[in-house]
Amino acid sequence: MPTLVGIFEQPLLVAQLAEKLRGRGFSDLEVYSPVPSHELDYAVDDRPSRVRLFTLIGGVLGCITGYALTLWMANDWQIMLGGKPFSSIPPYTIIAFELTILFGGVLTVIGLFAVGKLPRFKLDAAYSARFSAEDFGLVVRCAERDVAEIDTLMREHHATEVNLVEP
Amino acid sequence: MTPPPADTAAAMIRPAPLRKDSKVNRDLLRVMEGFSFGWFTLLNVSVAFMLAAGGVWIYQVYKGLGIAGYAHPVFWGAYIVTFVFWVGIAHAGTLISAILYLFRAKWRNAINRGAEAMTVFAVLTAAQFLGIHVGRIWKSYFILPYPNQRALWVNFKSPLLWDTFAISTYATISILFLYVGLVPDLAIARDRATGWRKALYSVLSLGWQGTSKQWKAHNRTVLHLSGLATPLVLSVHSVVSWDFAMSIVPGWHATIFAPYFVAGAIFSGFAMVLTMMIPVRRIFGLEAYITDYHFENMSRFLLLTSIIVGYAYAAEYFMAWYSGVEAEQTAFWLRAFGPYWISTWVMILCNAVAPQILWFKKVRTHVPTLFVLSVIINIGMWFERYVIIIGGLSREYDPAVWGIYTPSWAELIIVAGSFGFFCHFFLLFLKLFPVVAIAEVKEIEIHAKEHPGEHWDHAHTYGEIH
Amino acid sequence: MSDFDRRDFLKLIGVGAGAAATSGCSDPVEKLIPYVVQPEEITPGLPVMYASTCQECAAGCGFHVRTREGRPIKLEGNPEHPVNRGALCARGQSSIGRTYHPDRYRSPQRRGADGSFAPVGWDEATAELAAKLGAARGKTVVLGGATGPTLSGLIDRWLAALGGGERVVYEPFAHEALAAASESVFGVASRPIFDLSDSDFVIDFGADSLGTWLSPVEHARQIMEARDASSGSAATGARLVSVGPRLDETASSADEWLPAKPGTEGILALGIARVAFDAARQRGGELGGDAEALQQVLAPFDAAAVATASGVEAHTIRRLGGAMLEAKRPAALPPGVALTSRRATATAAAVLILNAVVGAVGKTVKIPDASQASGRVGSFRDVVKLIDAMKSGDVSVLVIHDSNPVYSLPADSGFAEALEKVAFVVSTASLPDETAVRAHLILPDHTPLESWGDAAPRPGVRSLVQPTLRPIFDTRALGDTLLDTARAMGESVAAQLPAGSFRGVLEAAWSDTDWRAALARGGLFAGAALDTPVPVGAGITRLEFKEPQLEGDGAFVLLPVPSPLLGDGRGANLPWLQETPDPITKIAWQSWAEISSQAAQTLGVRAGDVVAIQTTYGSIEVPVWPRGGIRDDVVAVAIGQGHTVGRYASLANDGVPGAARGVRVSAALPALTDESGGRAWLAARARLTATGRHQRLPFTQGTDNKRGRQLGESISLLALASGARPFEANEPAFGPAAAAQADAHAAAREGGAHGEHAGAHAGPHEVRRAYDASADSDANEPYRWGMTIDVDKCTGCSACVVACYIENNLSVVGEAGVLRSRQMSWLRIERFVGDGYPQLETGRTGPQNHEVLGNVDVRNSPMLCQQCGAAPCEPVCPVLATYHTAQGLNGMIYNRCIGTRYCANNCPYKVRRFNWFDYQIEGWPDPWPLMLNPDVTVRGQGVMEKCTFCIQRIQAARLDAKGQERAVADGEIRTACQQTCPTGAIVFGNLKDGASRARTQVVQNDARAYHALHVLNTRPAITYLAKIQREEGHEA
Repeated sequence: MPTLVGIFEQPLLVAQLAEKLRGRGFSDLEVYSPVPSHELDYAVDDRPSRVRLFTLIGGVLGCITGYALTLWMANDWQIMLGGKPFSSIPPYTIIAFELTILFGGVLTVIGLFAVGKLPRFKLDAAYSARFSAEDFGLVVRCAERDVAEIDTLMREHHATEVNLVEP
Repeated sequence: MTPPPADTAAAMIRPAPLRKDSKVNRDLLRVMEGFSFGWFTLLNVSVAFMLAAGGVWIYQVYKGLGIAGYAHPVFWGAYIVTFVFWVGIAHAGTLISAILYLFRAKWRNAINRGAEAMTVFAVLTAAQFLGIHVGRIWKSYFILPYPNQRALWVNFKSPLLWDTFAISTYATISILFLYVGLVPDLAIARDRATGWRKALYSVLSLGWQGTSKQWKAHNRTVLHLSGLATPLVLSVHSVVSWDFAMSIVPGWHATIFAPYFVAGAIFSGFAMVLTMMIPVRRIFGLEAYITDYHFENMSRFLLLTSIIVGYAYAAEYFMAWYSGVEAEQTAFWLRAFGPYWISTWVMILCNAVAPQILWFKKVRTHVPTLFVLSVIINIGMWFERYVIIIGGLSREYDPAVWGIYTPSWAELIIVAGSFGFFCHFFLLFLKLFPVVAIAEVKEIEIHAKEHPGEHWDHAHTYGEIH
Repeated sequence: MSDFDRRDFLKLIGVGAGAAATSGCSDPVEKLIPYVVQPEEITPGLPVMYASTCQECAAGCGFHVRTREGRPIKLEGNPEHPVNRGALCARGQSSIGRTYHPDRYRSPQRRGADGSFAPVGWDEATAELAAKLGAARGKTVVLGGATGPTLSGLIDRWLAALGGGERVVYEPFAHEALAAASESVFGVASRPIFDLSDSDFVIDFGADSLGTWLSPVEHARQIMEARDASSGSAATGARLVSVGPRLDETASSADEWLPAKPGTEGILALGIARVAFDAARQRGGELGGDAEALQQVLAPFDAAAVATASGVEAHTIRRLGGAMLEAKRPAALPPGVALTSRRATATAAAVLILNAVVGAVGKTVKIPDASQASGRVGSFRDVVKLIDAMKSGDVSVLVIHDSNPVYSLPADSGFAEALEKVAFVVSTASLPDETAVRAHLILPDHTPLESWGDAAPRPGVRSLVQPTLRPIFDTRALGDTLLDTARAMGESVAAQLPAGSFRGVLEAAWSDTDWRAALARGGLFAGAALDTPVPVGAGITRLEFKEPQLEGDGAFVLLPVPSPLLGDGRGANLPWLQETPDPITKIAWQSWAEISSQAAQTLGVRAGDVVAIQTTYGSIEVPVWPRGGIRDDVVAVAIGQGHTVGRYASLANDGVPGAARGVRVSAALPALTDESGGRAWLAARARLTATGRHQRLPFTQGTDNKRGRQLGESISLLALASGARPFEANEPAFGPAAAAQADAHAAAREGGAHGEHAGAHAGPHEVRRAYDASADSDANEPYRWGMTIDVDKCTGCSACVVACYIENNLSVVGEAGVLRSRQMSWLRIERFVGDGYPQLETGRTGPQNHEVLGNVDVRNSPMLCQQCGAAPCEPVCPVLATYHTAQGLNGMIYNRCIGTRYCANNCPYKVRRFNWFDYQIEGWPDPWPLMLNPDVTVRGQGVMEKCTFCIQRIQAARLDAKGQERAVADGEIRTACQQTCPTGAIVFGNLKDGASRARTQVVQNDARAYHALHVLNTRPAITYLAKIQREEGHEA
């Protein structure tokens, strides 16, 4: 299945082109970008990232762990300390807070890995060092017969180059 | 234009190899190239400090804490002082990265990487002192709530345990933050490196390609980490301050401590960023990226936090006087006029008085002055902790056992060693990782190309590039 | 860690047993007679007590030796002994260390040509001595300290058997003048006995009876009982007036202090006597003896004249005269060592006259007749004679035992040089000292805990010394050495002496008694009836009552004061006595020269600046210690330091062997005697010059200004009598008020004699008890351990401190350690002067600047862990190493401690101590570890430690009670500090038991009760009872 790579200088054009292609039913798109760009975030997939779910789970988990840990340990063997209650919530809140952050943070990063399909051990054939310089790339996988049409579209959108990467 | 003839399709080739790399990449990656003589000397010096301190520390473990200067009733000394000092330093990184990120203060992008790295190294340095200062390091695992058949757990009411949790959380989060930020830049490095660096970066960059999916997840991650790190950074130094505020020692037992310490931490952190970044910018010629504008912004922060800290000093004395508690009054009076008066006045001059010169734009934009000032502030902030800890303990409730503490040679060597420890990490970082966040700088640039004119601060930030 | 320690301990026990087994003790192995209970076998883990007698000073206190598995581990006063009644002083407590001292001679030693010593066998050694004695032909002298009657007797018989020879008894503090004075006043040549029980007005003419006089433990107990507020109304309690140039231990606890010119004590006594005499005559009452003689002697001493001579106001003299006459059981105590001038006999006589005039003789002052007089009192004059003899070569063999003349004799006596002239010098010291190292032959004696002996401290009291462990080293009792030597000299000599061992001699001497009963009790304690008043004879007219002239010139009187801890210097090699701070100056391990703050200013010196003290006889250089509580014309240096031999006495342990620790004041003193031939200590004037050098003094109390905080409180009789409930403290104010108080203070400082102390007890005084501590233990527990400490009874003698060191295996950190205030004492005695003032000073102020001449507002406040109900130390420990036990104690788990030291930071009383080094496990040289208390964990490097009310004793008692299915009775548990306190200032008990003394004490003295730093609401388990201000100004 042939893969076309268009190379652009402006993310905006890539975004517009992607929209158009998807409009025409080309759904198998990929965008390479040297920088984060809001335009491109939703160009190929307009659903919000699922990373936030991980953060939420992590935070809640941490908070619960924090209180459970402290309360249980303080009452597993009750020891009198300076006439204070065994289960004293205020100090335990600090532990709960720290664990909320810790778990939240760790799961967020796990989320990044899961959603961003990281780590990966082999780079795409279509990927090139230019995409870590200043060029943007739009990759379209399509049927043989559509190559010409997509090529034209790309050039219309001021692609500096259009290349065909053999499958 | 007309579509190409079908038969030409076969003639099409893979993407042409990179002919000319972007200026940003070239400029910023150059920092990592080559190991200059100066760099080696610095590295050796700091490693030497490190080793000396290590030796003394081993001797101390063998011989006992007695080789430090402790004197009843001053049970905490230079080690805790330095611990608090480094924890304070560690705050700038997260503040710049996280809080400024949330505030969308884009000028942060040039300095956040360096600051984040500093944060990580400072936390690691600080954490060591918790171990150095305990009497029985070989039993210090007792402080972890590990399961044991005696059902003997730890005391979650103790501020020291809060510390343990806060510091380790902070270390973990700031390491993650630094690494997540690094991944795209490591990919850039990977695409250009050869030999061992190629291998290293290929592994570390996790096969990053900058696809829109990855970027989307990445943005989200950075956003959330910032969201989490912001309360964390405030909590960490609050907890550290509670090590003191939760006790009943006159001069420690004060509600103002948490905000006071946090402000102090940001203050010292920013000072340290300046102390590190000014030489880096000079040596590696990064004036194009780290501009006077950054330094001016940071010196604004310095001024603000210096005023807060100064206010805290004043508030402490006012409270001591106005509360009418004799022990407090005495403690504070003796801080200023007792055995530790020098430290106290050093603290006040360096932290509250000297930074006032930043009211003048001339000073804020005159880099050498800023450098000197930042060093002065670092010194002042070390003495602040010294005054609080030693000054507090040496003059307590029972006048019969008032005591005097002076640091011993062992403590001084170990404190010096901590700077070596910190610096050698930073030097290695300079050569292994981009000290300026390439992708983020580039982002601003490209963004500028996209929407010319419409940009807030980038005009004078990056005007000089094009 | 604990495991290791236990094993370590047992291992050492093994070593010790081995040593004991191999030791060549000539006695046959026999069962010792344990006290009260006699187990068939020693049960491991259970202590066995043996009664014996303390040999540290002439007082002859009785104690029980607490032994575990055959090792003495602690000395505790014998409650049945009439002298100390269960208490023991700091010196007595630490005397156990002599047995386990690492310096001890392991075997006999002979000095080679090069002066170094080499071990020799006993047979060889005794043979050599025998040979020399044979050759000596009676030119033999035995020089030594006062020994028990039996041993003294044996020595005399031994000398006789040798065919002549002389026994010279030499005690540095012999109090010769007392007997002499008694002879000239009452015609009886025996030392009077001062019995202060139930006395109601006591004038201490510089005797320092509470600290260093004849029998400190006994006198402290008697005086405190007599003045005990709880035994009636405080107003009727006894009054104690102290005369002396320096605020010493007695003056600090006195109700009135008259800093009279040193040397004028006798004149002052006669002045007071005259007032009383005239009054008595007018009303035609008892005059105390030969009226004419008295009249003739007293005539010149009218109040006015005496006032000018002594510097004590005439009205005070009249008042005291009246008070003494009114008193039912008055007592006047003659000067102690420090004030023994060249007219000591006359001075003592004057005081005895005062006693006679006010009718104290037969009541508080008892004169034994010559037959009852306790063993021959050595006279300094004899020693001087001996020295001459030695110089002229009339002594060919000199046997020195139980004394260290080279150290203690004055420089110009020339003893050291004379010693060179003696052909053969034998020392029987068990520990090396300056004299022993000069001997040719050393035949090491047993330590008191290893030997048999007896003592006769006073008529009617015969006390026994019995061994409580097999000798650790190859030593031999002096008695046996003498007997063996005699045998080695051949039948002719041996025949004149008893066969068998010295123990046989002792048993023979006690044959008239029930030997076993005596051993079990510790001796025979019969009261001697001495309450017949002895009239004053005409002999007094022969005495010259004049102010003694002092040799040399110079602005200062050199006042050599006996150290309450080191005594005459024999305590200097016992680490606990060195480490325990001096009760007055709180300096440890060093010598210092006390001068008045005023004098210091004129000299331009600060605390620690070294001055040269120059007399006609020598010069010593010593750091000064300026204080308010000493006359401007006096420089006081403590006797006892300045040793060059002994690892703790000298600087040997600090790496400078042979160097002296502190100074030897005798080096600047003359070999002068008083009328009776006793040594005159107060004999020289001194010139002080600053050397410009400075020496950091290891003092343990930074300031005596308590800044008005709730420590060492006091309450005036006025407030107490008014019965007003204690009310709020006026918290010291900042600014003007404070300044005002400061001014008042300054005024008082200049105002001298009776100036009100700064901010002190203006009006009824505040002390308060915030709450009832008994609540702070588990609801189901019958116990809440607590304590009541009566500050009014504490003399600061520090016996409790040493007792704590030994009971709880506390480490000694040495001078270097104390300089960093790292001493490990769980219990310290804080000495505050007045209420202090919260003035905020700048710069350095002298540590003891708050004392005021003539002001006695000194509070000695023992500070130990308060076992708080709301302990600040507990919640901050991250690993739960310190926690609150079910019985309300503040427990400390050494094994769990990781040494964050947060607890210590958060303890407002600062009673926690940290093991900065490995002081204990590797730190103790053999055979110290043999005396470790096996019930107390040995602490390793890096852990925190603290007082837990002697938890090991609590546990033992609880187990005992549990076994008998009963509750622990009140008084069953006595902490080490309580047990040894001479004045009973410390009471331990169960706060949940309303009838316990710890509680009743508080109830009875409610108005005096307070908690230390109560404003912090730590809910301490210790309730203090405030000191009572009985100064004239405050009487209702």
